[in-house]
Amino acid sequence: MHKTWLVVKHEYMTNIKRRSFLFAAFGVPVITILLMAVVFAVIINNETDTERLGTIGYVDQSGVLSQKIDEPENLRAYASEDAARADLDSHVIGAYFVLPPTYMDTGTINAVSSSNIPDALQDQINTYLRANLGQGLDATVVERLKEPLNTSIKALDTGRTLGGSALGGLFIAPIIFVLVFMIASQTTSGYLMSGVVEEKTSRVMEILITSITPFQLLMGKILGLGALGLTQLVIWIIGGVITLSLGQNLEFLSGIVIPPDMMIVGVVYFLLGYFLLSSVMAGVGAVVGSEQESRQFAGIFSIIMVIPFILIVSFINDPDGAVVTFLTLFPLTSPVAVILRMGFGAIPAWQLISSLALLFGTALFVAWASARIFRWALLLYGKRPGPRELIRVIRRAPSMATTASGDGAA
Amino acid sequence: MRAIGVEHISKSYGSFRAVNDLTFEVFGGEIFAMLGPNGAGKSTTIRMILDILKPDSGQISVLGGKLTDATKDRIGYLPEERGLYRNVPVLEVMVYLGTLKGLTKAEAQKRAMSYLEQLDLADNAKKKVSELSKGMQQKVQFAVTVLHDPDLIIIDEPFSGLDPVNTLVIKQLLIDFMKRGKAVVMSTHQMQQVEEMADRLLMINRGEQKLYGTVDEIRKQYALPAVRVEGEGDWSQLTGVGRIEQSENGKQTALLYLADGTTPDSVLAQIATRDDMHIHSFELAVPSLNDIFVQVVTGDKRHA
Repeated sequence: MHKTWLVVKHEYMTNIKRRSFLFAAFGVPVITILLMAVVFAVIINNETDTERLGTIGYVDQSGVLSQKIDEPENLRAYASEDAARADLDSHVIGAYFVLPPTYMDTGTINAVSSSNIPDALQDQINTYLRANLGQGLDATVVERLKEPLNTSIKALDTGRTLGGSALGGLFIAPIIFVLVFMIASQTTSGYLMSGVVEEKTSRVMEILITSITPFQLLMGKILGLGALGLTQLVIWIIGGVITLSLGQNLEFLSGIVIPPDMMIVGVVYFLLGYFLLSSVMAGVGAVVGSEQESRQFAGIFSIIMVIPFILIVSFINDPDGAVVTFLTLFPLTSPVAVILRMGFGAIPAWQLISSLALLFGTALFVAWASARIFRWALLLYGKRPGPRELIRVIRRAPSMATTASGDGAA
Repeated sequence: MRAIGVEHISKSYGSFRAVNDLTFEVFGGEIFAMLGPNGAGKSTTIRMILDILKPDSGQISVLGGKLTDATKDRIGYLPEERGLYRNVPVLEVMVYLGTLKGLTKAEAQKRAMSYLEQLDLADNAKKKVSELSKGMQQKVQFAVTVLHDPDLIIIDEPFSGLDPVNTLVIKQLLIDFMKRGKAVVMSTHQMQQVEEMADRLLMINRGEQKLYGTVDEIRKQYALPAVRVEGEGDWSQLTGVGRIEQSENGKQTALLYLADGTTPDSVLAQIATRDDMHIHSFELAVPSLNDIFVQVVTGDKRHA
């Protein structure tokens, strides 16, 4: 047990220093946060852009604004367009607008400015106009006129109530979560595989297995790199929380909520999915001779895992259909499928339970079979065994195979 | 102390008999050489000793019993085709592999630094393994093998890829281990090293034991009733000398076969009294291990 722990520590400490890991774990969230900060700053800037223009003049030829109800502080009325023009030229005001006598019929307003008219200013004028146009109406009617649409979406399946602009968030949260899950589990199980291949090709393996048992080595690797994957998840979740709190004022971000139940189920599926994937990768790494070849095998599993992502439309249009149900139950696709479904709608309890049971069972079986192949193939160099031979190994667990270098089964 | 006891072990791969009824012992305080051509069964034998492979039949005891996790920590093994983690700093690799052999981290660190200093590699402790030259990597691998001060050291081809200076350094280290009562097993093709270092040897060919005993005994066993002389003179005038083989390499060396009852000493005495004969060297025609090796291997082929 002590030696397994040494392997755990070694795998964790050496792989955490990899540049690719540091980039994936810290670089990506930092870049995301910086991007958010920039977007945030730009938008804040836009909001305050009315200040850039200073005082705004207006000439009311239509009589709509004669009562000056709720006049914003930065607006100043002028009697004639000429007077406003003169002040604009001498930079007393930044812009002015004219409500022509035909305003009530056409709704046209002419704005004059030496620079762009920001959206914020238009909003301000809109509100000012509404308040004056609605004079004499019931106060609540005026209130509704000012803000006719105040949305709240209730997703029927989950009973989750989402804020006004959360429609985007409904889709974004599970997709981001799935992406994080896939990157974390695939990078770490990929490290595991290339680690095994390196130890095999460099023959460090022979030294290792005269110090510890193959099973201790395998467990140490799976646990150590699993801890690394969890570290990555935690860093990203912290990064996500910071991003969300930074972007709280942004409409499209404020809708994104990562519901706690999705987080818990997500972490459970991450652990099981990682356990399954890394067991497969350890077996592949032990059997396959070269780094390059092992990457091809890893690619096959990566593609199978992202199938739910490719078929994402089915999850939105037909969440109870046969395709989605299959993807939810099939162990290699279930981690991604379940997280997507948790975000989009509800999963029937029986599906969630059977999916978990299937994944758990498969992961245990694959880990067991992989441990046998791992042990058997550790010292096998050169030739790659066929599927039939591998099945024989899983069933009978022979001792280690050797195509001993320069010796043995020539 | 008996470090290794091998009794009648055999191992087959399918119909191929890799090792056939091998029996030998290795003791503490000796350097033991395992010789044999490629494919003779050396690595298979070593792997059975290390419990990587199970023999089909026979018994193996290591350091006084069956190999356990505790005895594994008392063995240092360096396989033939060897490498190290490439992208990990030298010291870190050594400490990791040392702790896997039961050393504490602090102890492993201390010993690793001391070996690096001894092997002239102290400046490279923080460098990645891949930045080291091949010879340096070999030395690091050697240090890893002996870091935990094992009672049994098994090294496949200890000197391959080493320059003469480093060969001398490693050789001295191995001899020191032997003097401290450790058992050193080396599997090698370099006969000269075996002649210089090994106390006893085991030679196997096609999985079978061919020679087993002390190096001196075996060489004497293969000694010819002859003396090798280098010098000038008509050797045929000597009494008690039968057939003469002149060497073909241009040097004035000849192999003089002695008649029954003639001793090398009496031949040397005759030469010393004659003015028409001068010698530069005079030695017993004890064959080199290399000759014996070739003789055994080619002899086997002839029989097969």
